[in-house]
Amino acid sequence: MTMATPSRPDAAAPLALRARVCAELVRHRLVYLMLAPVVAYFLVFQYAPMIAAVIAFKDYNPAVGIAASPWVGFDWFRQFFDGLFFNRLIWNTLLINLYDLAFGFPAPIVLALLMNELTSQRFKRFVQTLTYLPHFISVVVIAGMMLDFLVRDGVVNDIIAAFGGRRESLLLNPDYFRRIFVGSEIWQSIGWGSIIYLASLAGINPSLYEAAKIDGANRWQQFLHITLPGLTPIIMTMLILRLGQLMTVGFEKILLLYNPVTYETADVISTYVYRRGILEANYSYAAAVGLFNSALALLLLFASNRLSRRLTGNSIW
Amino acid sequence: MAAVSLRNVRKLYSNGYSAVKDFTLDIGDGEFVVFVGPSGCGKSTTLRMIAGLEDISGGTLEIGGRLVNHLPPKARDISMVFQNYALYPHMSVRQNLAFALKLAGLAKAEVARRVEDAATILQLEPLLERKPRELSGGQRQRVALGRALVREPKVFLMDEPLSNLDAKLRVEMRASISKLHRRIGVTTIYVTHDQVEAMTMGDRIVVMKDGEIQQVATPIELYERPLNKFVGAFMGSPAMSFLAARYERGGFAGSGFTLATGKPALDRLALTEGQDVWLGIRPESLRIASEGAGNLRGIADVVEPLGAETIIGVAIGADDRLVARIGGHLDLRAGTPIELSLDATKLHVFDRTSERNLGLDCR
Repeated sequence: MTMATPSRPDAAAPLALRARVCAELVRHRLVYLMLAPVVAYFLVFQYAPMIAAVIAFKDYNPAVGIAASPWVGFDWFRQFFDGLFFNRLIWNTLLINLYDLAFGFPAPIVLALLMNELTSQRFKRFVQTLTYLPHFISVVVIAGMMLDFLVRDGVVNDIIAAFGGRRESLLLNPDYFRRIFVGSEIWQSIGWGSIIYLASLAGINPSLYEAAKIDGANRWQQFLHITLPGLTPIIMTMLILRLGQLMTVGFEKILLLYNPVTYETADVISTYVYRRGILEANYSYAAAVGLFNSALALLLLFASNRLSRRLTGNSIW
Repeated sequence: MAAVSLRNVRKLYSNGYSAVKDFTLDIGDGEFVVFVGPSGCGKSTTLRMIAGLEDISGGTLEIGGRLVNHLPPKARDISMVFQNYALYPHMSVRQNLAFALKLAGLAKAEVARRVEDAATILQLEPLLERKPRELSGGQRQRVALGRALVREPKVFLMDEPLSNLDAKLRVEMRASISKLHRRIGVTTIYVTHDQVEAMTMGDRIVVMKDGEIQQVATPIELYERPLNKFVGAFMGSPAMSFLAARYERGGFAGSGFTLATGKPALDRLALTEGQDVWLGIRPESLRIASEGAGNLRGIADVVEPLGAETIIGVAIGADDRLVARIGGHLDLRAGTPIELSLDATKLHVFDRTSERNLGLDCR
């Protein structure tokens, strides 16, 4: 007679889970191997620095380290909010982003829609190549080109002068900075940004256009009732992601283009953080401003996602 | 309602491929015509040319006596049901139904009336506020039909509208479409690759192959008098069996059989001594015979009991096979020798080279 061994589900379950995980890792080892550098990147450059964000609440002294540096609570935040440049930084960051949202965000959508209407595949490829190219040029080179183009005797001033206008150093005029920055952003990213919309347009069922033709829709009505609704989910997703970055500006280009004369309109949170944090070695202050910026971005992301879900039914989570 | 007339219609693509060759057909007012054929035979291309979704390379197309070759789809007074339904995903069922009417500038009250009427006919009332993604396949198909219906067109075009449905739903929808056609009587052109759909729905069937019409006839005529071997093979399920044979001394001789048919059965055929032919045998033309009484002998290699009938695959000699449909249940095992009798008057004889039906050639 054999006796049944009493089972221990509490011990068996983790074992089974571990075995399953191991089997999964072995079975798809190549996939996990490819994933590893991405995971490592996020851990090292995105998650690990979060621990160091604690210096925003300390008077960080590199000589004694993070742990030994004294706690200062919200002092740095208070200093930033009460600071001389707080309003200017917030306003500049917000305004450059709003300009970009108003003109830069729709630009690739419009380009994708226009390219979608092209019947000549050769011309379409030509336009695509032409508009993608600036994306691959380094920001430093772009800034160098712009400095050359926008100086008093640059090509832009040549054109202005040819039409009877007055020559001036355009990058020394704070009134033009936002326009120049957003314009260059559009020029650099319009082609690359249109790829996602072109892919989305290619995914729209061609039968819908045929059905609309039979229903009597002209080109504009087809665009309005088929193309645009077909693009709405991806537009909303991109908009949510963009709104999440409403307080973030890629500071490299601004750093390369601005100068103390244009701080009035060009200085944004990230350039300020760079100057205070790196150049003046005030790491805690920079960390506090950066943390404030990130928290605001997270809040905006949640709010825009919720708003989009309510208004259009599309959301990223 | 309107008659549709196609005269030498051709479709030639820029790469030189000829999808439709000299298609000539008159479709009567209120008629239900089915285009059937294998994939790539040009049936959908022809339908799309009628719809105006493809340019016509040559020939003329008239709808209601009006030349429409160069008219856009909206000016042809047709409506179309697509294989994948092509419902506007962001619109509700009601909006889908009303879309074409709104574009046409109809008054709100008229739009509402037509939508309600179509919804009633197709039992869509409870679904009117739903989006297409919230509907089952059958419901989507009904909405697609409704969208075609509300326009009150002269001609209905349907491009394999039931292909995406499961077998049971397809049977139901088949009946619904036939009923709908009887009720509204609009000229309908229906494309399918399913010969059962063609046989059960069409007033007339157009069988196509390689861009050419093979035969245009009523379902029964097509089944009983196929003009050539392709039509004979394509129409009918299980399909017609073919035996390669030679006409000799008043009968047919194949590699593993001889078939004496008798003079009356052959009188209708234009045969010459020694002529190579294909013998086309419908499964229901065969009966099980007692030993020595049959005219075909073989081995039952497949036995499929379907309850009401039994389908038997029979190997005749080394190369030939027959399929027999025998009524009721048969206690027969695969591998059993079997003897079959063939009703020679139901035999179809096709010329081996031209593949034309010799029984029809001599009429």
